[in-house]
Amino acid sequence: MEDNRENGMPDLLDLQEFDEEALKRESEEVLQMRLMTAENAVFTRTEGGFLSLKFREKTYDRVGVYLTFPLTNPEEFISIREADEKAKEIGMIRSLKDMPKDVQDMIQEQVRLRYFMPVIRKVMEVKDEYGYAYWYVQTDFGSCRFTTHMGGDAVVSLGEARYQITDIDGNRYELPDLYALTVMERKKLDLFI
Amino acid sequence: MKLLYTLKESQQQALSLHDGETIWYCVPVDLDFDNGVHSARTGYTDQTWIIVTEERLVTLRGDEKTSEHLLADCEKIKCEHQVGCGIVTVFPKEGLPECVARFSMRHIIRVAYAVRGAQTLVQAIQEEQNPKMVSRVESREYEKYCEKCGRALPGTSKCMYCDGKSEILKKFMALCGDFVGRLIAISLLLVLLAAINMFNPMVQRYFIDNALANGQGTVKDLWLFIGLTFVLTVGGMICWLYRYWLCVKLGASLSMSLRAKLYYKIQVLSLSFINNRKPGELMNRVSRDTKQIRIFMEEVFGDMFSTLVTMAVSLVMMLIISWKMTLLSLAFVVAVLVIIRMFWHHIHTIFHKQWLRADDLSSNLQDILSGMRIVKSFGKEERESARFTEKTEAFAAIQKKNETFWAVFFPIMTFLLGVGTYIAIYFGGVQVLEGSMTVGELVQFVTYSGYLFGPLSWMTHLPRAVMQMLTSLNRIYDVLDEEPMLADKAESKVFPIQGAFTFEDVSFGYQTYEPVLEHISFDVKPGEMIGLVGASGTGKSTLINLIMRLYDVDQGRITLDGYDLRDVQMESLHSQIGVVLQETFLFSGTILANIRFAKQDATLEEVITAARAANAHDFICKTPDGYNTYVGEHGYNLSGGERQRIAIARAILNNPRILILDEATSALDTESEFLIQQALNRLVKGRTTFAIAHRLSTLRDADRLVVIDKHGVAEIGTHNELLEKQGIYYGLVNAQLRMSSGEK
Repeated sequence: MEDNRENGMPDLLDLQEFDEEALKRESEEVLQMRLMTAENAVFTRTEGGFLSLKFREKTYDRVGVYLTFPLTNPEEFISIREADEKAKEIGMIRSLKDMPKDVQDMIQEQVRLRYFMPVIRKVMEVKDEYGYAYWYVQTDFGSCRFTTHMGGDAVVSLGEARYQITDIDGNRYELPDLYALTVMERKKLDLFI
Repeated sequence: MKLLYTLKESQQQALSLHDGETIWYCVPVDLDFDNGVHSARTGYTDQTWIIVTEERLVTLRGDEKTSEHLLADCEKIKCEHQVGCGIVTVFPKEGLPECVARFSMRHIIRVAYAVRGAQTLVQAIQEEQNPKMVSRVESREYEKYCEKCGRALPGTSKCMYCDGKSEILKKFMALCGDFVGRLIAISLLLVLLAAINMFNPMVQRYFIDNALANGQGTVKDLWLFIGLTFVLTVGGMICWLYRYWLCVKLGASLSMSLRAKLYYKIQVLSLSFINNRKPGELMNRVSRDTKQIRIFMEEVFGDMFSTLVTMAVSLVMMLIISWKMTLLSLAFVVAVLVIIRMFWHHIHTIFHKQWLRADDLSSNLQDILSGMRIVKSFGKEERESARFTEKTEAFAAIQKKNETFWAVFFPIMTFLLGVGTYIAIYFGGVQVLEGSMTVGELVQFVTYSGYLFGPLSWMTHLPRAVMQMLTSLNRIYDVLDEEPMLADKAESKVFPIQGAFTFEDVSFGYQTYEPVLEHISFDVKPGEMIGLVGASGTGKSTLINLIMRLYDVDQGRITLDGYDLRDVQMESLHSQIGVVLQETFLFSGTILANIRFAKQDATLEEVITAARAANAHDFICKTPDGYNTYVGEHGYNLSGGERQRIAIARAILNNPRILILDEATSALDTESEFLIQQALNRLVKGRTTFAIAHRLSTLRDADRLVVIDKHGVAEIGTHNELLEKQGIYYGLVNAQLRMSSGEK
């Protein structure tokens, strides 16, 4: 019966919750870090703009690159996951700088594809009008206008002088250092900080 | 939400549509993405579009095509949510997936709809249907920004600045129309008040000029003056009080009637309307927005008109007495207004900051209080209290600063506003000395100038107050004007339900772009018990929501006894469905009231019978007040199993034809589960039943089991049939058997 389950029913894996064996296996697997190195993992760019991977005798047509500490340690503990909805972890890159240059580039490209959080360089204007604030800023993606609520959640502190601003669409903007702005710019942010 | 933008002429050409090809969806994207090429994508982009025709998916940047796919070559097209952005991925029939566009969150909903539209076309082509016959995907979601002025819309469909204002005022007037008598009374009082205000200085002037200044007055004149002034003042006060009282009453009735309308409307509207909004938002509309209107009526509405009238008349009178002096003091007032305006932003800022801190403080407090057990068990009291102290100190510092500022600023402003009067007195005094003006006239002038300048600082708040009121009204009418999407039609059917269901190619998703169920088809005979099995998140509960018609299907149809579910009258449907859900919600009230919820006029005997059937009678008898025991927030504490049994009694009181059990026995101890299982077994006999359960033993008695996996029906059949099939269900049963034997 054991064999029957293992071989005959790959479907079971999709119902993990009920499948003790698969669950056990999975929770065992989660315990391991399965670190990726230049030797055991081969990344290749695909034509469609994604990454494919060969790792431990298995080939993945497309993998997802997930940062585990996107705000504080974006270059460490990068989780490489399968591209389907389950996004099962394939392995982890401990530190990006230990990888060869071209792998670093490839991973960074995918990070730039997956993550979007413009960094605000210059605050041109913040106008508040009946419950909304209308911002006009320069970001590393170019100049940008966006709208936030006036409530307390629009601008949150990420520690020290670092702030994150969320607009009404759900876009997030990073303000890396409040004190890098000029006094006039800071004055415009008075309402929030 | 708009899904079909119009392209520029040159872009149309770049698209090179051939004869008979039309654009189905055309939506903008805003992030630079050069397809397939791995380069740094670090720029916003303009004039970049995703275009879907019945044959192709094209991306355009400017006048240049950046990608092009024949829908016939596509396996599927997906909009994938990334972090802070989204991408469109094309899965070709041959080869690897390809990313064709990238966009920020601003466009994600729009793109997702368009991609869903493209996907239905792809499917139609795969099924060899004519894509032109496919129905277009439409988005019922509102735009977030006004198309004309670019301002954010506060969850409404109309922009207040562009086309909503007059319409809203009209509606407001119509609403006020219900209170016409009171409005007339208020206006009359306003006129009377203004008249009294105007009259007072005239009496003063007459008395000063004719009794005091020329030394001819008698004590009698003095008494007369005092008497008259007294009468005027008291009269004015009474008028003012009466008017205030009327305004308060009007505000209260207005907001009450709005609140009642809103509450009713929200009940009527479909769950999808409610789910599309943040949980607190509707509550805010019922409580805060209506309160805003009450406050406006009480504090602004009455004063607004009387003050404006008084000010205008005062100005006229001042001009009549001496236009030179009037202009002089006016010039000064303008200066003061400018100063106030300059400081206005600052004042707003510092108090907004204080408010932010207060908010932060209270949420911090709430955090710690509700997490008290964790804080204590980890022994972190010291750290948490230090953190809190830090925050209170910061708040106190800001508060102190603000109050100090206010304490200095306000008197200075009052003084500055008063300076206008001093100037008037000086020039007036000179004129009096020269004899070109009487003392009485001067006093009259000064009093009028007080009327004119006094409310100025108050006036600066006025636009804000009006705007706030309009915003609230807009938000309220937005809900009131919403057409209930699941409304009954005139020809909706009312009939005794037999309980035969048919699912015909049903697809549904809460977010239209994220399907939860796809292509569900199966039949249910009357009285049959169907067990729904599958991992969490596969859509079992969603299927049940559709059966209850809390939502309408996106595609396909569900029929009940041969009628489309959408043609069955809702109340009739719901009165014949009994529901027991996993999270048992009991209303604050007695056990009796809770059981009677579905059928208010049930006799006590019926209630007891239902409770007995639900195995609830015994424990209810043991509670201190029996069926009259108060449950709910501050009431008697029931265990999970007890609550569940009350819910079952509630569900069967009505003797429903259809029974829905969503994890009715999970999270219970063994004894409760046994009792409830027993109750349920009695219950399902002869009723069409849909039961969801993780523990398969609960579904022992199901006539058929439907295994749901990957958004669709994976297996269907009796317990034995499915075991023989050795598919998903077989695996589940084995796993559970082994797990329970492992436990022992």
